Amino acid sequence: MKISQRWLKELVPFRWTPEQFVERLTMVGLEVEQAEDQAKTFKNFVVGEVLERQKHPNADKLSLCRVNIGTEEKRIVCGAQNVAPGQKVAVALVGATIPHDQHDPDGKPFVLGRATIRGVESDGMICSAFELGVGEDADGILVLDATAKPGTPLANSFGMTDVVYEIGITPNRSDCLSHIGVAREVGALTGKAAALPRLKLKESKIRAASVASIKIKDAARCARYCGRVLRNVKIGPSPKWMQDRLTAVGVRPINVVVDVTNFVLMETGHPLHAFDLDRLAGRSIIVRMAEEGERFTTLDGKERALNGDMLMICDAERPVALAGVMGGANSEIGETTTNILLESAWFEPRGIRRTSKVLGLSTEASYRFERGADIEMARYAVDRTAQLIQELTGAELLNGVIDVYPKKMTARLVPLRVSRANAIIGTKLNRVAVSRLLKTIGFLPAGGAGDLIKVRVPSYRTDVVEEIDLIEEVARTHGYDNISTQTRAAIDFTAAVHTDRATTEIRNALIGGGFNEILAIGLQDEATMGISGQTPVKVLNPVSVEMSTLRTSLIPGALRIAQYNRNRGTKDLRLFEFGNVFRLLEGKDRESLEAYDEEERLLILLSGQVSPLGVGVQARNVDLLDGKGEVEALLRRFLLDKYRLIQYDTHNALTEPAVGIEINGTYAGFFGIVRPEIAARFDLEGEVFVCELIVPVVEHGWAKDRKFAALPKFPSVTRDLAITLDRALPQEQVETVIRQAGAPLLVAVTLFDVYEGKQVGEGRKSLAYALEFRSSDHTLKDAEVDAVMNRVIQAVKKHCGGELRA
Amino acid sequence: MVETIQHTRDQFTQALNAVQDLAQLEQLRISYLARNGAIGSLFEGLKTVPPAEKPLIGKALNELRTYAQTAFDEKKAALEAAGMPRSAATDVTLPGRPRWIGSMHPVTQTMEEIKRIFVGMGFSIETGPEIESDYYNFEALNFPPDHPARDMQDTFFISKNVLLRTHTSPVQIRVMEQQKPPIRAIMPGRVYRNEAVSARSLVLFHQVEGLYVDKGVTFSELKGTLVAFAKQFYGSSLKYRFRPSFFPFTEPSAEMDITCYLCGGKGCRVCKYSGWLEILGAGMVHPHVLQFGGIDPEVYTGYAFGMGIERTALLRYGIDDIRILYENDVRFLKQF
Repeated sequence: MKISQRWLKELVPFRWTPEQFVERLTMVGLEVEQAEDQAKTFKNFVVGEVLERQKHPNADKLSLCRVNIGTEEKRIVCGAQNVAPGQKVAVALVGATIPHDQHDPDGKPFVLGRATIRGVESDGMICSAFELGVGEDADGILVLDATAKPGTPLANSFGMTDVVYEIGITPNRSDCLSHIGVAREVGALTGKAAALPRLKLKESKIRAASVASIKIKDAARCARYCGRVLRNVKIGPSPKWMQDRLTAVGVRPINVVVDVTNFVLMETGHPLHAFDLDRLAGRSIIVRMAEEGERFTTLDGKERALNGDMLMICDAERPVALAGVMGGANSEIGETTTNILLESAWFEPRGIRRTSKVLGLSTEASYRFERGADIEMARYAVDRTAQLIQELTGAELLNGVIDVYPKKMTARLVPLRVSRANAIIGTKLNRVAVSRLLKTIGFLPAGGAGDLIKVRVPSYRTDVVEEIDLIEEVARTHGYDNISTQTRAAIDFTAAVHTDRATTEIRNALIGGGFNEILAIGLQDEATMGISGQTPVKVLNPVSVEMSTLRTSLIPGALRIAQYNRNRGTKDLRLFEFGNVFRLLEGKDRESLEAYDEEERLLILLSGQVSPLGVGVQARNVDLLDGKGEVEALLRRFLLDKYRLIQYDTHNALTEPAVGIEINGTYAGFFGIVRPEIAARFDLEGEVFVCELIVPVVEHGWAKDRKFAALPKFPSVTRDLAITLDRALPQEQVETVIRQAGAPLLVAVTLFDVYEGKQVGEGRKSLAYALEFRSSDHTLKDAEVDAVMNRVIQAVKKHCGGELRA
Repeated sequence: MVETIQHTRDQFTQALNAVQDLAQLEQLRISYLARNGAIGSLFEGLKTVPPAEKPLIGKALNELRTYAQTAFDEKKAALEAAGMPRSAATDVTLPGRPRWIGSMHPVTQTMEEIKRIFVGMGFSIETGPEIESDYYNFEALNFPPDHPARDMQDTFFISKNVLLRTHTSPVQIRVMEQQKPPIRAIMPGRVYRNEAVSARSLVLFHQVEGLYVDKGVTFSELKGTLVAFAKQFYGSSLKYRFRPSFFPFTEPSAEMDITCYLCGGKGCRVCKYSGWLEILGAGMVHPHVLQFGGIDPEVYTGYAFGMGIERTALLRYGIDDIRILYENDVRFLKQF
């Protein structure tokens, strides 16, 4: 909301600097977002009087002027042809910022310096309308009004002496969507009450009610309707002072009638509408609900389909306005209008909001009505509008207001307990102090005793309906700065604090392992989200198709990020992300949260080189085993041995191979190499390893409570075992056979080499294991180890068809 | 015999000192230490020594053999070391063998720091779903249907009553439903807003919500807690202010500003020339909200607060465009 300081000062006296205004209003909850001091827009510009024009000694097209700027004379070189002695002109002094450079293709601003033009020094510049930013004319200098006084700041001669504030009004403070509303807040701070201009109506003898009628059919939706009639109105432009006011607060002047209604809207906050009375059938107004499916053309020229929930202003035959939102094209004021009916009504907020939402039409009027207009302002607003139109056009104002107000709204009395206010705010205010604070903003005590005050809420504060609302007003007027800053330590230190330690630890482990954390936007296009094979959740009103679907897996987003990085030359990637994925459950009610599955996942992605380039580092691309090693290191660290890998995982369509992970028997995710056709969608070459873990399952399996196991007292013996066997046999089976045969002395089995080639024969492979033996009660002798080794070898031969490698 | 032993020892020492290279050393080994060498022959001679002298001579012979072997080993090691080429590793200016260096996303870092401070004050961490119902996201937070306050948060809808949460505040209701006062929790998470993508807004961001419900909780205490937080997070010398604001789910409501730490309060582009930076919104939990959470507002009072993480991270790291946070350019991530 734009507020003009000059306008405000007509409603309440105050002498604050713009800085003070910003600070004080902000601290009572009216956040002043910007203060525009119009005078500052033309700093170092003054009115000058051209005393003499001579030809420039060294240039034909230039002239040399003597200019009186009040206190002194300046010699200025000027290139314009229209400059002449006696003119009042706009002079930019050295140091002024010229809004538009005439010689710059973009018309950028520049700072005027002392310049020597063709050997003659110029002490300033005479400006064109274009250069000043007040018009398009760039050919000649701007000639000012002859009455302008040399030396006057240029802004003054333009009437730009106002300060315009931009105030962010929160949805609860509809009363401040006007100059009088802000003036009341200023008055509360200064102690000088704000007041609207006193009315001076000159009414004719003819009664308005004799030429027009008003009838409300739905009093719940329209609680009051005030009308006034003016005759012989001459439609033309409004006076400059009014146009300046409207322009200052961001309203475009149209014609005198529309301008006055807008002016009164900005002044009082009450929306008004003017009908061409002669275009109202039967010269009557009927307020009723629309017919379902009825069509209506609003004055913006758009035809709109109505529903039965919309309130309409109608004449004897048809709708003429969408109540509280916008007038109709069929009753609009035009150049030929002579008789008008003014509307100043009160509409029920929620109905207006529904109408505005359904039609996608928000106006200054609907914005105010849906936030709550002041029903008691309706009468003043229509009178003020009528008075101004009469004064400005010389129209005839008919006698009386047609004021249909079926059930006068009574002022709300809201009880307030002083003790409760103190308990919420943390103050020790007494009854007198609380009453005094409330009075400053127009809330008057009306009874109550002891702890209780009955407070009469002013009609414009539609937001204050219960005790807590009053408490906020007490806190606000007392000043948040005046509330002490306390901390209690009334915390139960013995209560366990629930934290997200598991994710924090996993994150730190990954960072230590050289992974970079990413955060992807969880919204992508439907095709990308569909590749995981799950049914995605779609957004009904997306900002774009690229962000229309929630992720079903973290992998597509990570692949997109891999693509982004590869396109920028980063090919070696070690990435991880914690994030939620979403899935639509078929056959469930989509209006219930039950239809949506949401789960936190952890993604790990590896691609490119295994190690950074360095001395003696062998260049090698990441493969499945590198990724598996990273995943297993993480799982072992957090879960010890409580996980299992399942070779054939059917849970995903993204990787090949796909290895499933189970934690304590529960599915916990998978890893693998991204399928080539999916990698190709993201222009990714080479193997990309990905792993996706279900965070709650990992968290649940986290082996947090660990017990110390005594360290071995006796040394271990290590023997190597190299065997050849069928290459199709999974290593895990061999390892299991070895472990079983070697128990209990065999304590560790480590595969350290796999070889396939001529030396071991076609269809065969060689596996080399390091076997570690240890006894818990004595140092092993060679013969004991030999015996176990023998058992192991026999078992491998028998169960795996293995041969000792020569 | 004793003399012979001493003589052999002297000869060996002399010969060893004369050795120049490993080949000569090998010759020396054969001459003295091999089975048929000088020392070996002496051991052979032990057989002819009278039994009474055997222990003494045997001991002397063993000493000789140990001495010779030790001296030989030392010489061999010295020669080998001298003969070795200078190792490449001794050029200490060579780069260390590199490892990948990990990093935490700046948004997470900021979030973790905020969490650390509040956990230290006894707040627990709670979470809730990102797909929410209208009830939790709006209605139970005192946004009545058809209320303009709903315009404060542009919403992505999944269906008529299901949406992407626009703030972490719905977790307040969920926590109140599950726990009994005293409740002291922070609720971090992702939230979504249907706004055009720009340098300042990006359809989603992270928030941390805070909630404290107990007997006797006051606005004064809200101020105290948030000032304590801000001083820990932004520095103990900061200046702050609380100004009235509006949120449907708190009353009285406030926004907290701190002196712009980029310009020291003089006014700059970042603080829009006001000298202040808004860091969070807060207020006393509205009685209706307590009731929706199943808590009697006449017995308990509470405060709540919420702050945006991205905004905080942008200020903290001097980033001027929110979009870079979600591009995940590794060159960017590695800066943190």
